[in-house]
Amino acid sequence: MRLTLLLLASGSILQAAVVPGSFDKDVQPILRDTCSGCHNAKVLSGGLDLTPYMEASSVLAKRDGWEAIVAKLKAGEMPPDGIPRPPAEKMDALLKFVQTQFDTADKNAKIDPGRVTAHRLNRVEYSNTIRDLLGVDFRATEEFPADDSGYGFDNIGDVLTVSPTLMQKYLSVAEKIAARAVGGDPLPKPGFFSNKEHVRHLSGSCIELTEIVEYDADYIVHVNLLGHRGAQSKPVTLVISVDGKPYKTVTVPVQISDVNKQGGATQRGVEEVKLFLPSNQHVFRAEFVNDEELEKIPAAGRTNVNQNIFPDTIELAGPFPPSEPHPVQKKLLVCDPASGPACVDRILTALIHHAYRRPVTKLDVDGPTHIFNQAKAAGYTPAQSLQFAIATVLVDPQFLFRLERDPKAGTSAPITDVELASRLSYFLWSSMPDDELLKLGETNQLHLAAVLDAQVKRMLADTKSSAFAENFSGQWLETRSLDAVKRDAKKFPQWNNELKEAMRTETNMFFAAVMRENRPISDFIDGKYTFLNELLAKHYGIEGVKGDEFRRVELTTDQRSGVFTQGSVLTVSAYPTRTSVVLRGKYLLENVLNAPPPPPPPDVPALNEAAVGVATSLRQQMETHRADALCASCHAKMDPLGFSLENYDAIGKWRTEDGKFKVDASGKFPNGKSFDGPAEMKGMLKDNMPEFTKCVAEKMLTYALGRGVESFDRLTVQDLVRQTTQHDYKMQSLILGIVHSAPFEQRRGEAKPTVAKPTQEVAHK
Amino acid sequence: MIVTRKALNRRTLLKGIGVALGLPFLDAMTPAFAASTPAEQPVRLAWFYLPNGIDMRNWTPAEEGPLGALPDILSPLNGLKDDITVISNLTANWGRPLLVGAGDHGRALAAYMTGVEVYRTAGADLKLTTSADQLAAAAIGHLTKLPSLEIGLEEARQAGNCDNGYSCAYCYNVSWKTPTQPLPPISDPRNLFERLFGDDIVEAPAAHAKRLAMRQSILDHALDSTHRLEATLGGTDRRKMDEYLTSVREIEQGVERAEKSGMVIDPGIEKPFGVPHEFPDYFRLMTDMMVVAFKADITRISTIMVGREGSTRPYPEIGIADGHHPLTHHMGNMQMLEKVHQINILHAKLFAEFLTKLKNTKEGDSNLLDQSLIVYGSGLSDGNVHAHDQLPTVLAGRGGKYISPGRHIIYQRETPVANLFASMIERVGVRPEHVGDSTGTLAGLSLS
Repeated sequence: MRLTLLLLASGSILQAAVVPGSFDKDVQPILRDTCSGCHNAKVLSGGLDLTPYMEASSVLAKRDGWEAIVAKLKAGEMPPDGIPRPPAEKMDALLKFVQTQFDTADKNAKIDPGRVTAHRLNRVEYSNTIRDLLGVDFRATEEFPADDSGYGFDNIGDVLTVSPTLMQKYLSVAEKIAARAVGGDPLPKPGFFSNKEHVRHLSGSCIELTEIVEYDADYIVHVNLLGHRGAQSKPVTLVISVDGKPYKTVTVPVQISDVNKQGGATQRGVEEVKLFLPSNQHVFRAEFVNDEELEKIPAAGRTNVNQNIFPDTIELAGPFPPSEPHPVQKKLLVCDPASGPACVDRILTALIHHAYRRPVTKLDVDGPTHIFNQAKAAGYTPAQSLQFAIATVLVDPQFLFRLERDPKAGTSAPITDVELASRLSYFLWSSMPDDELLKLGETNQLHLAAVLDAQVKRMLADTKSSAFAENFSGQWLETRSLDAVKRDAKKFPQWNNELKEAMRTETNMFFAAVMRENRPISDFIDGKYTFLNELLAKHYGIEGVKGDEFRRVELTTDQRSGVFTQGSVLTVSAYPTRTSVVLRGKYLLENVLNAPPPPPPPDVPALNEAAVGVATSLRQQMETHRADALCASCHAKMDPLGFSLENYDAIGKWRTEDGKFKVDASGKFPNGKSFDGPAEMKGMLKDNMPEFTKCVAEKMLTYALGRGVESFDRLTVQDLVRQTTQHDYKMQSLILGIVHSAPFEQRRGEAKPTVAKPTQEVAHK
Repeated sequence: MIVTRKALNRRTLLKGIGVALGLPFLDAMTPAFAASTPAEQPVRLAWFYLPNGIDMRNWTPAEEGPLGALPDILSPLNGLKDDITVISNLTANWGRPLLVGAGDHGRALAAYMTGVEVYRTAGADLKLTTSADQLAAAAIGHLTKLPSLEIGLEEARQAGNCDNGYSCAYCYNVSWKTPTQPLPPISDPRNLFERLFGDDIVEAPAAHAKRLAMRQSILDHALDSTHRLEATLGGTDRRKMDEYLTSVREIEQGVERAEKSGMVIDPGIEKPFGVPHEFPDYFRLMTDMMVVAFKADITRISTIMVGREGSTRPYPEIGIADGHHPLTHHMGNMQMLEKVHQINILHAKLFAEFLTKLKNTKEGDSNLLDQSLIVYGSGLSDGNVHAHDQLPTVLAGRGGKYISPGRHIIYQRETPVANLFASMIERVGVRPEHVGDSTGTLAGLSLS
């Protein structure tokens, strides 16, 4: 028996208790005889050399490595086929010894909450915060360069930087947003400004125009109609819509007027609608609906002005002063800034309080007030001067960054309730705290368990939590990659934007339902319901769903259940022309088991995926490939998962044949368990709920904290898995577990300021 | 200078940059900047980064020395043979797996212009070094409105993890301002336009000067606020604030320069709008703006990522429905390799068009191409096996009577590609001890 002294990073010295068994008897012989033949300094199979693991002290000193070894052994992945396995009782003794060492160490360990780096608002957070702060509809995704991501998420403080390009944007949009919020700049003279050449003719009776409007103002959408139909034709219904929402529906006569008839002139018609538009990109559409007579006109005649009437072009005129005052301006401008300093102070104090998401000091208000005065002195109106003051707030780092005060170096301490309010709101809303949350923070009540729980429930029920559904699931399940998806139009003629957006909506709504209805997270694997519109239901071969509206649909067959058989996931895990069992297998390993496969070794022997379905079946190809021992150990785990989804093509449509071969969606895992088809594979995933729970917990913790999950978070993750399991895997119990966890509620002080290393490569002159 | 509507015939422009793209953007913009020719004739530097390597069978000229008929992929450059130098055998050693294993795409890009180890992290502790273009920008960037310009031709980003434990930041950014700060490229045409020309409304010069003065004060406030804040923050947070401060200062200098130049853009100019559907149009639109930026001396340094490393873009414009990256892992399948070949040709064609535009843009007794040094290359040669040596490299331009082009130069195997970059930035007066793993500059680029 030996005692292991372990020096932890925190500086505390722990003693591992005496445990039954011994390293020299139970562990070392197996490593030496069974494992080290491949895992040594020379062969380095899987990049692992076991030499440093031959000592008892390594179990705790090299814990991360040992955790990985234990996981492989438990899963039955090692030793691989062809290497004699030690008897089961010997393996059990090894695992038991190591696990006991782990558990003993953990019992005495103090949780290190880690630290979160100053976090610049990402594009989504910026837009949402501007919306909640000023009521301005600003779309940062169209204005700012893309945010870099880390650990699979784009809200990681360490990775989010401020480049000069972004800073220039911050400055210019701050002025514009402030102007939109205050409305202090006179509108330019109205006029027609859109570009006719941007008008797209989608069909003979539908045209569309995408344009940016520069001001929050009223605009006239002007639709020109051209041509006429025969004397017997009935009038048609024209619908003018903006961003998918109809604004004007009007009956249009289709016959030529006598004057035009006699003069031989082309029949022209005009329809207009005036409406308020926020400064953004908008899609304008003019369309004849329920136009049964169009069918009777031959295709060639549909653009002939003597045979048909059709929307010819859309023009935009504006900006006109809004007919009603902007509701936001009423909220922001509680008094008239022209009335004097007291009012300006009042407006700015309230604004900064919310913008910096903490109690406001006089010093905070002084700077922007100074800018206000300077602008006024320069001859700007009070309203315009206020705009400059607001712009000042919007480029301040205290607005752009989520900042937390550091506790003393090397110590951990709870963050303040005010800081907690921001952590919570950016986790669940991707936005700033609202008044209620901020007030609870400022009165130091938020950290109280009952208060915190009630707030989480309230926030999840709020529509703003859709941001969590979209941003977290969009990245965990990678459905955001739909943006980048392109599909071969020949192979997948039904692929289009509407289908893509329907798929995205389905997964977002499904996630939101699991979250708001507090369903078990096992629903992600096999929940027997989903959200469909007619288009997507048809794609899935599900009957009885009519119209564009999404609604809840109960799933009755084995073909679909859970997110891994949703079109979005099946599409982002495929290639543009075909499926790939490797991509899908890798997808599931990463996102269901959080166990990304090691990358393929260089000089991989040939796998000809392109020939699949043509010359040989996919399965034959993969099996040839796997015969090579170099590839076998990873593919043995990856491919079966991928094969289980082979019944879905590259856009998630159900199929039973791939090319000329019948789909075989059966497989066998390295631990010997086998399945046939997606339903059985999902059953096996469900048998391993702790593993899946751990995966979701790690991903969600990463997102909630905005930092990677580190080895010192092991205990937190274990706790999350235990709590969630105890609560029947309920989604909200996981969310609450995270919110109450040490990394979320506390912070470690940084030991020493790291002095930025001078870039030694630069030698000016 | 005020860029007026008169110079930019609105009709022409609408045609040029709208959906129709009948006339190139460049033709529309050029008259506006005719008067802006800088007094001196500066040297411009640019890097075109090609993702996923090249079909090398059809890239490398057979003979060293004067360029004969070019191999298939480079054949679009035949008409520019006397303006380019094909350079063989350069290596980006730090792209290799060495002891860390896979992640070749992330490393290929991240190591290309930095020449150092790419620290494997999914995000917490990005670490590289300042890239070659940014070494130059740090030294000469203050001479122009923008110290440098970063452009990318891939709009949408992939969700999830990027490359085997390497943060996406390594796969999407070729330019690094500091060891920890990447410079994300601009991929939206309108944003690029506004970065170059600003997005101010037009005001009378006096009113505009007043606005710029306010802007200056706002930025001063941001600096003050940050300084006060820093005292309360931990080291890593302070580093974040330093990045912010550096950017604020750079914008402040830009505002100062704008005050002096008085350059304003007319609101009647229709800005480019949306990403063109077809890749060639996208490429042309973005590189046209690059030509204008060089011509008007808005910047002298630019990088452009033709795709992110590991790009899966299909090219339906030339009948290729499969993604680029999976095709490069052709495993000897000739059909797949042929498609890679075609993608490589398409890129080269578009690059040749760009060079031609530079060449047709006169500057004093010279032209923009002669005044430039432009790398067209990749951090991978054979994408199938992730080879990081014998890199495909073309150097276009003369760098202002510096290079003697029209040749194929074969260096010794394992010559760091950073040596080429060291030569380039030396040409603009930047002489660091080394650029990443450079061992010197490239001998023999100039015949004199």
